[in-house]
Amino acid sequence: MTAADVVAHLRYRDLLFSLVLTELKVKYRGSTLGFLWSLLNPLALILIYSVAFRYIIRIQIERFTVFLIAGLLPWGFFASSATASTISLMVNAGLLKKVHFPREILPAATVLFNLIQTLLALAVFLPSLFVLRGSVPWTLVFYPVVLAIQAVFVLGVALGLSALTVSFRDLRHLTEVGLTMLFWLTPIVYRISMVPAGMQAAFRLNPMTSFVSVYQDIAYWGRPPSAGDFLVLAGWAVGALLVGWAIFRRRAPYLAEDL
Amino acid sequence: MTPAIEVRNLWKRFVLRHNRAETLKSRIMGVFDSRLRERRETFWALQDVTLNVQPGETLGLIGPNGSGKSTLLRLIARTYYPTRGSVTVRGRVSPMLEIGVGFHQELTGQENIYLNGSLLGLSRRETERLYPAIVEFSELEDFIDVPVKNYSSGMHARLGFSIAAHLDPDVLLIDEALSVGDEGFQRKCQERMQQFRARGLTIMFVSHNLRTVAALCDRVCLLVHGKVEALGPVDAVVSRYQELTAVMTSGDGRMLGPELPSRSGETL
Repeated sequence: MTAADVVAHLRYRDLLFSLVLTELKVKYRGSTLGFLWSLLNPLALILIYSVAFRYIIRIQIERFTVFLIAGLLPWGFFASSATASTISLMVNAGLLKKVHFPREILPAATVLFNLIQTLLALAVFLPSLFVLRGSVPWTLVFYPVVLAIQAVFVLGVALGLSALTVSFRDLRHLTEVGLTMLFWLTPIVYRISMVPAGMQAAFRLNPMTSFVSVYQDIAYWGRPPSAGDFLVLAGWAVGALLVGWAIFRRRAPYLAEDL
Repeated sequence: MTPAIEVRNLWKRFVLRHNRAETLKSRIMGVFDSRLRERRETFWALQDVTLNVQPGETLGLIGPNGSGKSTLLRLIARTYYPTRGSVTVRGRVSPMLEIGVGFHQELTGQENIYLNGSLLGLSRRETERLYPAIVEFSELEDFIDVPVKNYSSGMHARLGFSIAAHLDPDVLLIDEALSVGDEGFQRKCQERMQQFRARGLTIMFVSHNLRTVAALCDRVCLLVHGKVEALGPVDAVVSRYQELTAVMTSGDGRMLGPELPSRSGETL
């Protein structure tokens, strides 16, 4: 990409915000409870998993709800962005055929919209977390940094998925199934140390395991992440962005005719 | 003079996919069963098209259905990508292809004006400045806070034309846009086009209405089967088109050319 391209892209930042604003407006218009609705889904999950794991399975994790919230919200950001990105180009086929603009803006708007939803959820659940936990860990100062790195990772995934789904329409359903499987393979409702030793290496190949572990460190254990942790997360983020963007760039010129 | 639109040896190939393998599943099944395999056929929608449009000039684009007019306009608007050759456009392009497609049905007219502005590369402040004129021209003052899904198709078109017509573009691409709305609004659109011409905008205009073309254009390009059949003064090219049409329709009663021109028949 040349410098001129970057300047051209910057001219379109108002478009990115317009698209995000549009999604927010459409979602919350005509509902008096507004954004409270988007808290319903995480709230329901937190309640049901807490009941299932604390009282039925009796999992050996102290203050399980705090542990759960630490991993569940970042997972939600990843999963809902990935799901929404698969259709982000297809629902905007009309725009793509009509107007020339940097195509990356559509999956980027999807990720930004889901990031805002996540921030709203965090604003509500993080304080409640400390009521349950009893104190505020200082390591929470790392939260914005980790979230920013995760956003880059999610953007890479969204770019790749959105472009591939145009060629392979069933990727949308595969993504949903894949995410359900990945949820249980990510240590969100259990600890990585509970995984049999022989399988732990395989579990660590899952990027979301790395992210969720760091989130649990800073929000549940009160442990600062190591430099090595940050390197691993940044590696996943940069890798996902490079691969996702390369896939996207290859398909971008032909999106208007393929849709 | 440097042309405002420069099309050089432009070729555009489309891939027709019979039995299109749109899913991973069908792609995989195709490995085992050749009947399920995708067959691809290519055809050239545009073949070696070269033309220049000078700044301030209005060029009409005519030709039978499927001759590649809209494809050419989309290539100039940069939503399609050339297979070979190049397209250079100098200045801001305001496309009026398929008016109103960019509208979000749940949003109001006002919100759509802002969304459309940013789609066409305007900042929020620029759109704010143009907003009153857009609303006035569209005559939709009373409906501007109503979601676009409740608009009639004529209202859609009026809003779309008004936005595109107020962007202050350097190059305007119009695909049959003037055939929208009631007669009063059509007249208004034509007046607006004349104003644009007077102001020195470069316009490329696709239409089947030869009378409108003759009234608005400086030069005309006739496309047949994706090739430039004639390019020059309005009268000469329009009568050439009429000759062609007459020959084809009197011959065997068929209209000129098939829907998809110049199939090369080659298989990928």
